[in-house]
Amino acid sequence: MRWFALLVAVALCLLLGLATGEQWINPFAASDALEQTILWDLRFPRLLTAFAVGGLLALAGAWFQVLLGNPLAEPYVLGVAGSASAGAVTGLMFMPESAWVMSAGAFIGAWIGIVAVMFFSHLGANRMLLAGVVLAAFWSAVLALLLALLPEQGLFRAFSWMMGDLSHSDLPVPLLLIAWAIALACGVMLSRALDKLLLGERHAEALGVDVKTLRQRLLLLASAVTALAVTAAGTIGFVGLVIPHLMRLLFGSLHSAVLPASAIGGGLLLVLADSAARTIIAPAELPVGILTAIIGVPVFLYLLLRRSQ
Amino acid sequence: MSCLMKLSNLMIKRGASTLLSGLSCAFNEGEIVVVLGPNGAGKSSLLLALAGLIPASGDLELHGKTLTGYSRHALTRLIAWQGELPPTEFGLTVKQRLELAAGEEIDAVASTATRMDIGSLLQRPLGELSSGERQRTELAALMLRQTPIWLLDEPTAHLDLKHQIHCINMMKEECKQGRAIVTVLHDIQQAMAVADHLILIDGKGGAEYGEAKQLFASERLTKLFDAPVITQGTVLVPDYGVMK
Repeated sequence: MRWFALLVAVALCLLLGLATGEQWINPFAASDALEQTILWDLRFPRLLTAFAVGGLLALAGAWFQVLLGNPLAEPYVLGVAGSASAGAVTGLMFMPESAWVMSAGAFIGAWIGIVAVMFFSHLGANRMLLAGVVLAAFWSAVLALLLALLPEQGLFRAFSWMMGDLSHSDLPVPLLLIAWAIALACGVMLSRALDKLLLGERHAEALGVDVKTLRQRLLLLASAVTALAVTAAGTIGFVGLVIPHLMRLLFGSLHSAVLPASAIGGGLLLVLADSAARTIIAPAELPVGILTAIIGVPVFLYLLLRRSQ
Repeated sequence: MSCLMKLSNLMIKRGASTLLSGLSCAFNEGEIVVVLGPNGAGKSSLLLALAGLIPASGDLELHGKTLTGYSRHALTRLIAWQGELPPTEFGLTVKQRLELAAGEEIDAVASTATRMDIGSLLQRPLGELSSGERQRTELAALMLRQTPIWLLDEPTAHLDLKHQIHCINMMKEECKQGRAIVTVLHDIQQAMAVADHLILIDGKGGAEYGEAKQLFASERLTKLFDAPVITQGTVLVPDYGVMK
């Protein structure tokens, strides 16, 4: 029943996302070619991008939480957002007119951040987390330096990207959807081992999990997914932190349920947030990261209170 | 009684310091070996080494084959380990925790939970349980592992008196079924109730192995724990001084 409700919610949100924007268009009764173009060439690909990015962020969040054994972990906890932002701003600095260069800069920056963290992956969850937090501070400083050097006309674009921006995404939608499906399939395949990892590394190992290999695979997978999501849409906070917890509240703790639910739920939240971001101050747009927090925080807190009662 | 596991000249290190060295012993079917020693002596580390969870040097043979020759997965069919209480942050329920341990024996979850007096807690998240209930959950998880060797690290910790006795009796019953049990205990009387053999670890790198009836002596335990242990009738007890 809950799965059915989640899928119905996705369908409804996609319809809502198609209908809303600068002008309201009934997706079932587009009156002319212009409306058809707006619906299917502009809004629909963007909604699919939002769905895939949201799902990828939520999956990465769930993985980082179990990898680090910390419920406060999220995709950017190890500094990937900072390094990706630094890369994006570097791209913006050299070729301010090219969205593609900015995305490439973000992707390269994200991977520089990932490689830096991987040097510390053998130290165990707590020390890796500590190293990640310190690296995040370093990347923040680099980012601040780059922003200070950035010409004034690039600042708005940079801040907009850093708060999440689906309007300039130039990654092909099929690529993102295929990545979403592959990430989910990998997650489901690893789900039993991840469940055992919830008991702690020693218990997991005693139950037959090769913890060292699992941790390496998980770090690589979660980082790659984060890098892709950041490249597509900038740094969108909150989805990766809260959606896995929200799905645990609704579907229980086992990863065979949490991961598919997060992949769908993260997508749902971002579709909803992006629809609101395109509509509230149309024809201008709000940064989508603001909306993910404004929509998601009350829902999460309500469920948390209901659960504890 | 056939020998399931054999150690020769086992040495375990923590960082640069040697926790214990020169331990040689055998764990046989249907026997309970109790590990005694002061805090930090290396008792838990010994169990972890026996489970293949931390490295150790020396010869460690399981069914006549060196322990490092087994894959992680193969070891899970031969050795079950009960150690620290698992974290509770992610909301696993008692049932889910037991099912993770049970593997293919999933049908036995309910009856094992009932046996450990947690049958009514199956749907509760681990984080909502008391330490004693969580410990009983861990013991039930161990019982679901039908392996020939059990390694128990302070199985009676957190338990009330009723469940301490229950746990001790459970170990005796399982031992009668032919299981080899190696357990760390802090309570001398519990140790005397179950031990066939003892491993005494002194915390200075030394370890001694022998039959329980030979090693249970007040002077030896007084020296081991650096605390007075006296004989009262036929049992050894800590000397708490004059009773109020």
